[in-house]
Amino acid sequence: MSRTRSASRTEPEAELIELRDVHQRFGAVAALRGAGLSLRVGEVHALLGENGAGKSTLLRVLAGLQAPDRGELSVRGRVVHLHTPRDAWDEGIGLVHQHFTLVPRLTVLENLALGVRGPSGGWRGGMRLPLEHVAQRAREVAAATGLAIRPNEVVERLSVGDRQRVEILKVLLREPRVVALDEPTAVLAPAEIERLLALLRQLAASGRTVLIVAHKLDEVLSVADRVTVLRAGRTVLEAERASVNARLLADAMLGQEAREAYDNAPVLGRGSVVGGNHRVQARPGHTECIACLERVEVWPAGEAAAAEDPGAEISLDVHRGEIVGVAGVEGNGQRELALVLSGRRAPVRGRAVLPPDPAFIPQDRSREALARDFDLAENFALALHRQGPWRHGPLLRWSALRTTSEKLLTRYRVLAEGTHALARTLSGGNQQRVVIARELEAGHDLLVAENPTRGLDLAASAFVHGELARLREGGGIGIVLLSTDLDEVLTLADRVFVMVRGRLLEVPAAERTRSGVGELMLSASAAADEGVEKEAWPGDA
Amino acid sequence: MKGWKRKRGQAMLERRLPVGVLRWVGATGLAAGALGLTLLAAGVVLALGGYSPLRAGTALVSGALGSPDAFLSVTLVRAVPLVLTGLAVSLAFRAGVWNIGAEGQLYAGALLGAAVGLVSPGLPAPLHLPVLLLAAGLGGALWAAVPALLKTKLGVGEVVTTLVLNFVALNLTSWAVRGPLQENRGIFPQSDQVAEAARLAPLWEGTRLHWGFPVAVAVAVLLWWVLKYTPVGFRLRAVGAAPNAARVAGRIRVKPLTLGTFLVSGMVAGLAGGVEVAGVTYALYEGLSPGHGYTAIAVALLARLNPLGVIISGTLFGGLEGGAGAMQRDVGIPAAWVRVIQAFVILSALAIERWVRARPHSVFVHPPSAPGGAP
Repeated sequence: MSRTRSASRTEPEAELIELRDVHQRFGAVAALRGAGLSLRVGEVHALLGENGAGKSTLLRVLAGLQAPDRGELSVRGRVVHLHTPRDAWDEGIGLVHQHFTLVPRLTVLENLALGVRGPSGGWRGGMRLPLEHVAQRAREVAAATGLAIRPNEVVERLSVGDRQRVEILKVLLREPRVVALDEPTAVLAPAEIERLLALLRQLAASGRTVLIVAHKLDEVLSVADRVTVLRAGRTVLEAERASVNARLLADAMLGQEAREAYDNAPVLGRGSVVGGNHRVQARPGHTECIACLERVEVWPAGEAAAAEDPGAEISLDVHRGEIVGVAGVEGNGQRELALVLSGRRAPVRGRAVLPPDPAFIPQDRSREALARDFDLAENFALALHRQGPWRHGPLLRWSALRTTSEKLLTRYRVLAEGTHALARTLSGGNQQRVVIARELEAGHDLLVAENPTRGLDLAASAFVHGELARLREGGGIGIVLLSTDLDEVLTLADRVFVMVRGRLLEVPAAERTRSGVGELMLSASAAADEGVEKEAWPGDA
Repeated sequence: MKGWKRKRGQAMLERRLPVGVLRWVGATGLAAGALGLTLLAAGVVLALGGYSPLRAGTALVSGALGSPDAFLSVTLVRAVPLVLTGLAVSLAFRAGVWNIGAEGQLYAGALLGAAVGLVSPGLPAPLHLPVLLLAAGLGGALWAAVPALLKTKLGVGEVVTTLVLNFVALNLTSWAVRGPLQENRGIFPQSDQVAEAARLAPLWEGTRLHWGFPVAVAVAVLLWWVLKYTPVGFRLRAVGAAPNAARVAGRIRVKPLTLGTFLVSGMVAGLAGGVEVAGVTYALYEGLSPGHGYTAIAVALLARLNPLGVIISGTLFGGLEGGAGAMQRDVGIPAAWVRVIQAFVILSALAIERWVRARPHSVFVHPPSAPGGAP
């Protein structure tokens, strides 16, 4: 559909926003080295690139969050300087953040009203939240875009997809000319992704410009009118959708050589629908059970989910040499299951037999996997500081920890300034490399990986998938992969489960297709979604 | 077209010097900057108050550093409780425990220490001093145990509880020196002097500097070493820097560690009280501490929570307080002005800290948290 849309535009549009020759260094790392971007009115523009290619940094420059070392930004041909997000707002540029910026304890409506001035203006307008005014405006925008949300729900009770819709609505309330979204599909289930992409097209059709940062090529190709590709901080390609294909984009993102290596990586069928039964059972010979859950309940007592669905129990055996895949829409208990399986939390009820000290890749890298203000050696030490070679009797051996860290940084090709670099200065993909390197170094029997490729681009995801496949081949370790990315689970897992409301349902081999599993996944959340349209905005009769 | 901003100089510096060195330079520069800002502001305020900043400054410096005796008997003696309480605060803050109660813990330590120092019979003389200091540490730890348990068992915020307990400890001391511990003459609200055997000997004859100073330095080095080289010190820093990552990635049990850190912090603050009794006053008074436990927060912050830095910043604040006496005597400036100057030091240290935090990518200005630098 996007192809016909862009082709139907006859005259070349005037450039709305133009970024030229942007440079930005962070310490010794050059994030941007001459990046450029031009946006036209009414288009969906995709910004592509590997991790660390500078996508997020360029977006931050555009949103006024980062003043670059060098470069020029013009809006409708007029050069502007953005020093604060407010400057960007004044130019009509609105950013939907990758990590959400809502206040969890406030309602949707209160969140929307934050930072909005009331119609009365003056100090009185600034003194109280203009709730009625915002509700009115939100109703209009919601009606125009089909962004259905429950205005009086407390944000912390919303699903990730709903939160993202609130986030987008919040930006739309300010009537931006440009809506920029940083990796918006990373957290969504397949049906939600389609909903989002349709919304983006609709926004563009209504005359707004949409800039989407993404790394899944099929999504980009289905929605974008034009594409800009960054590699190593430079703009290497700027093209109409009609003139590119997936291979061309992958080449531009990775460089041709790297793309070929990626094609030869041990994971198949990326980004496309995968036929279900390429791997039917755990292979014989690797049947030793290393982790057993017996009638385990994961919902903490007293939590709303537990009350809604009492008695949800999980029984699961994990064997060496297999990947157990757990799919599901966020918020169905995968988080709790991951914590129990990794030994980070005791089950509410039931019995969990686990190997000592399971390795764990939590989904929230920056909060739970890494100490942002620690350097890389210290972050390696978090998991390694209890063990032999890094201990000298009762003391830590920092020299050994530094040596190991350097070795791991090289082996896992982490782009960093060295073991003294702080974790927070690394890009998401490099942070994940650090986490994986650390969790695999200690030699565990069980690895629990929770959305291990969330927020990662093609090459980094391929790396993670390759590592998981390699570990399985080794046969010495059992892996549980919990992911909201259905393709990931279907391609990698030997056995596939779906998590629905605290229960674990095994997917029969015959139904291991995107649509088959998708139906199971959404069956639970459909009921909850029905309530959405019915709830009234305040002020409705 | 000129860029929005340039940072070339810094990038060049980073290429030429090792990271560890840069962090130390950064930390020192930060402290020097705070001090410079402070002196500037204090000078302006003194001038506005009608005093000559120059004369005041001269009196302050000569009172603190003017002679060997001024330095040893005034500055360093005052530095001892500041270093110890500063260490208590640093340790707690490093673990994310906001212990504002060093003052109360100091008094609790002084109270229990003095009580032990007064009852001499029954103890062999060489053991009396160690037992006094041990009792003082125990007193501080007991005082910290209340907010520590409230925090770890019930989730009560420690800022309020530690602060409130300061006043309770102060009043408890007032009651003790009017009741059970009052001197035998029963005239002044103070205790009798502790036994000779329970006192800290002078370090050099003829000065008032006592063995408490090397004790404080030893505690600082010990804490620095623990934070840097021991697993428990590393876990403590991890809990302070990133509690979630410590729990999930580090598999660290946060509550026991928090509890332990809190108690040790209280113990070190209590030790400060015991050292004051055994080394300076030899008796328990109401006004034993002129707010050392509060100044300790400034000492710790200025040292950027580094135990070795606390020795320096504690000595600096000791000099400020010691010089204040001279300033009052020679120029007639009320000693309260020193409180104003201390407030300036805290404010400028905090302001510079914020400024640094806003530049996360610069190695140059980053806190020395790396094991290669300082813990």
